[in-house]
Amino acid sequence: MKISLRDITIDYDNLRAIDDLSLEFHEGKIHALVGENGAGKSSLMSVLYGLNLNYSGKILFNDKEIFWSSPKDAIQHGIGMVHQHFMLIDELSVLENIILGYELDDALGFINFAKIQTEIKALLKLYDINLNLSELVTNLSVAQKQMVEIIKLLYRNAKVLILDEPTAVLTPNETEMFFKTLRNFRLEKKIIILITHKIDEVMSISDHVSILRNGKLINSSKLKQTTKKKIEEQIVGKKLPKLNVRRGIIDEQKILEVNSLRLSTRFSHSQPIDLFIKQGEILGIAGVSGNGQNELIESILGVRKVLSGSIEYLQEDITHKSTRYRRIKGISFIPQDRRKDGLAIKSKVWENVITINLSDQKFSIGPFVKKKSIKNYANQLINEYSIKVDNPNSSVLTMSGGNMQKLVVARELSNNFPLIIIENPTWGIDVGSIAFIHQKILDIKAKGAAILLVSNELDEIEVLADSAVVMYEGNISKRITKDIKFRENIASKMLSGVHFTENING
Amino acid sequence: MTEIFDPEFFSSIARLTTPILLAALGGSICHRAGIFNIGLEGFILLGAFMAVLGSFYANSAFVGALTAVVGGLFLSIIFAEFHLRRKGDPIVISIAINILALGLSTYLLRSIFKVSGVFSHSEIEKIPHIQLPIIENVKILNLLINDQSILFYLSIVIVFILHYFLKYHKFGLWIRVVGENPEVLKSSGINPVRIKFLVLLLCGLLCGLAGAQLSISNVGLFVENMSAGRGWIAVVAVLLCGGRPIPLFLLIILFGLVDSLSLRIQGLGLPQQITELLPYIVCLAVLIIVSYKKLRTFSRIIY
Repeated sequence: MKISLRDITIDYDNLRAIDDLSLEFHEGKIHALVGENGAGKSSLMSVLYGLNLNYSGKILFNDKEIFWSSPKDAIQHGIGMVHQHFMLIDELSVLENIILGYELDDALGFINFAKIQTEIKALLKLYDINLNLSELVTNLSVAQKQMVEIIKLLYRNAKVLILDEPTAVLTPNETEMFFKTLRNFRLEKKIIILITHKIDEVMSISDHVSILRNGKLINSSKLKQTTKKKIEEQIVGKKLPKLNVRRGIIDEQKILEVNSLRLSTRFSHSQPIDLFIKQGEILGIAGVSGNGQNELIESILGVRKVLSGSIEYLQEDITHKSTRYRRIKGISFIPQDRRKDGLAIKSKVWENVITINLSDQKFSIGPFVKKKSIKNYANQLINEYSIKVDNPNSSVLTMSGGNMQKLVVARELSNNFPLIIIENPTWGIDVGSIAFIHQKILDIKAKGAAILLVSNELDEIEVLADSAVVMYEGNISKRITKDIKFRENIASKMLSGVHFTENING
Repeated sequence: MTEIFDPEFFSSIARLTTPILLAALGGSICHRAGIFNIGLEGFILLGAFMAVLGSFYANSAFVGALTAVVGGLFLSIIFAEFHLRRKGDPIVISIAINILALGLSTYLLRSIFKVSGVFSHSEIEKIPHIQLPIIENVKILNLLINDQSILFYLSIVIVFILHYFLKYHKFGLWIRVVGENPEVLKSSGINPVRIKFLVLLLCGLLCGLAGAQLSISNVGLFVENMSAGRGWIAVVAVLLCGGRPIPLFLLIILFGLVDSLSLRIQGLGLPQQITELLPYIVCLAVLIIVSYKKLRTFSRIIY
């Protein structure tokens, strides 16, 4: 089987998302599709999946032209897609989610659950997947939800699997398991199209790689005929700048000190947390997400009450101060979820750049804002961080994920605050933006900021942090200092669950 | 005490409950499909007027019920046009429908029947009541549910049909999905707008029947603003039960009980203003209990 896209062009209002692009996908091959945010990967796939019908060009199935009128047509031709944001309903059971749209029903339309259940159980057995069909989806882990999406495709008899950033939310272990399943599919002669930002994954699993930039196909070749470095350069369109790691002087002054902190909620029975960050230091918190990192950050920011213990910032006890007080005193925060926590996405860019320093004399007179100086400031940030946006009056919604993230980083780093809390700053963005943001973080550190960096990416911790701790089940490990075995030490603690009874720090 | 709990008390429960129940069932599928329809009051009112209109001219209760349904469907289509096609805010549309139904029914009452306030006529055919001989010997059941209008029995059947329909029918599954996330349905190849349209039509049908039950079941007359808050009680019941048919049924029975109790205790010399408050006080009490339970589950997560 073979699918070809011929001369595909997609125009949105005044933007050409895909420009005269042709590609071929072959059976039994994993075809990686890479490119920056907004390069057109998702647009292209929505054409193949029948979600976008406003395009010019042809879709060929074994050299025969076909037309979709809705995703249903595509699904019937064996095309299945796992979207980046899961298309699952939390309140329904696994079974109900799987069969949605393809219910086996009787003459009256009532669903024959018993028959479907045996069918799906056979599928699960065939691929050696363990899943409780009557469980509600809301109770599943992210990896299990991913599996439900996959089974949904298998149940619909998909021969072409389009996977949009399938590993963005998976832990390294889960990713390995997931890839195993993908290799099984490859053996079964399925066509697998993998959209991803992670070049390492492309190198380890794909057979073929295509690079998109600004809606154009830059290169499409067998993996063997290219290299990681080449791919990265083709994605960005230029050579990636090498990170400039200045080992700034770490001052002895402790900016943040957390003493025997006990988190509220489900980690209340974990060991009390002690940690500190000195001026000019980046402390990494590694670990699989959901092990209490988020709760710790919320406690430091004052969004969440703590059970006991103290938080000292610049020698002042702020345990019971409000979030606003902490922010005014100079705690910066770059949240992982830029759309929900970082930005007011329906608002304009200039409105978003001053949300943390609105009371600054520069930007307001009494209750009124100085629109002109704010816009100047916004323009300054846009230039300095090379954020791609029409002008400060544009709504944040018009920006790509990478540029949104740059905007948050620009806002939070431009005040030279003493403490910066950063949570997965490069989640779901492209290599170019990642390199840019990493450099900015290192620069601000060299200026003397204390930085708490929570990251699920071992690479990120390794590159940026001066020392690190691992968080597991709400417990925090001993401090791991940066030396030759930095990465191995962190990884081993992540895997072994760590000897978390130890309570010493540093 | 015996003067409160006389036979009339028991039989009035079903009579008072049926219109609210039918409308609430319509509201519940809207709720499950993610359509915030608080226009039930208007739906009932127009249904009630249309029932009288049909029944009077055709001299047939069946035609009356049919025209009532047409009235409900008419409002459904208006709702669908403005909400589904023109993407209007459902609250604004609901309010518009409530006002429209009140104005339209009052205007038509005056221009067609040349009366204002009340229209009552002997030629308005009433919906027949049914005698169930099997339960005549069971005293309490006999009092409670015997000799009620056809629509009463129908509404109880619909409660259970809807329950199984939402759970085990593919269209029921689609309704639940469209209410949670229409994008999911779309990516499964089903048009979410079509589902919502059908749901609105079904709601209009049920609300039309609710109106018919109100105006041509027991009384055979139309009064301006006859729905008198029943649609709002239905909305509250739907929201409190999350649109689940069986809890909805039980809650509305409770309302009906309190409602007829309030009619009874007027006879004891309590001021009417106070007794009429009773159903709303029960509403508030249930709201407080439900929100208290919710607060307790949430407080453990974030303060």
